[in-house]
Amino acid sequence: MKNRLKVLRAERDWTQAQLADALDVSRQTVNAIETGKFDPSLSLAFRAARLFGLRIEEIFRDEDGP
Amino acid sequence: MNQLRPPESGYQSRVRANVIRLFRWCGAWAATCALLALGPKFLWNRSLVFTLLAIGLNICVGIGAIVANKKYLEELDDLQRKVHLNSLAITVGVAIIAGFPYSVMDSYHVIPFHADISHLMVLMSLTYGASNLYGTRRYR
Repeated sequence: MKNRLKVLRAERDWTQAQLADALDVSRQTVNAIETGKFDPSLSLAFRAARLFGLRIEEIFRDEDGP
Repeated sequence: MNQLRPPESGYQSRVRANVIRLFRWCGAWAATCALLALGPKFLWNRSLVFTLLAIGLNICVGIGAIVANKKYLEELDDLQRKVHLNSLAITVGVAIIAGFPYSVMDSYHVIPFHADISHLMVLMSLTYGASNLYGTRRYR
């Protein structure tokens, strides 16, 4: 699964630690998601979408999808 | 720059509090294990009543440690929980795979010493620690 988390975070000038605090996860988790090593759960994806004011599919994209 | 407002109780402080709680429960459990192992011989001269009380205390504190561990795992985030789940799966697998032949080796005197349960606990601790370290480094 691909995601735009790093781009969205950079646009807002947030650090990984700040984003991790806002999402209530560890910084390691934010880093692992940004680098594509780990796919977040649905609830975490919803939290990210809410935080950025976007829909989930605007942040996360299935690599096998259209 | 947009200002972020972190939740009231941050993830890191919550995890730290849970780790401290778990550490205390595990320490208390280890202390009751020592009491149970040494008490009958050195403290109460093999009195059955005191031994049963020590067993009861050991089990109660053990249950407390299990509950603290469950709470700790439940409050981890997705990734940390995945790392711990993988570590637990490997640890249980290793314990079963190694435990049975180890017991058989003792039964047929293949090994020159008694297969003690503490050997299995040490193996499980080392396996859990190593797999947890691997998982943590893998997602760094």
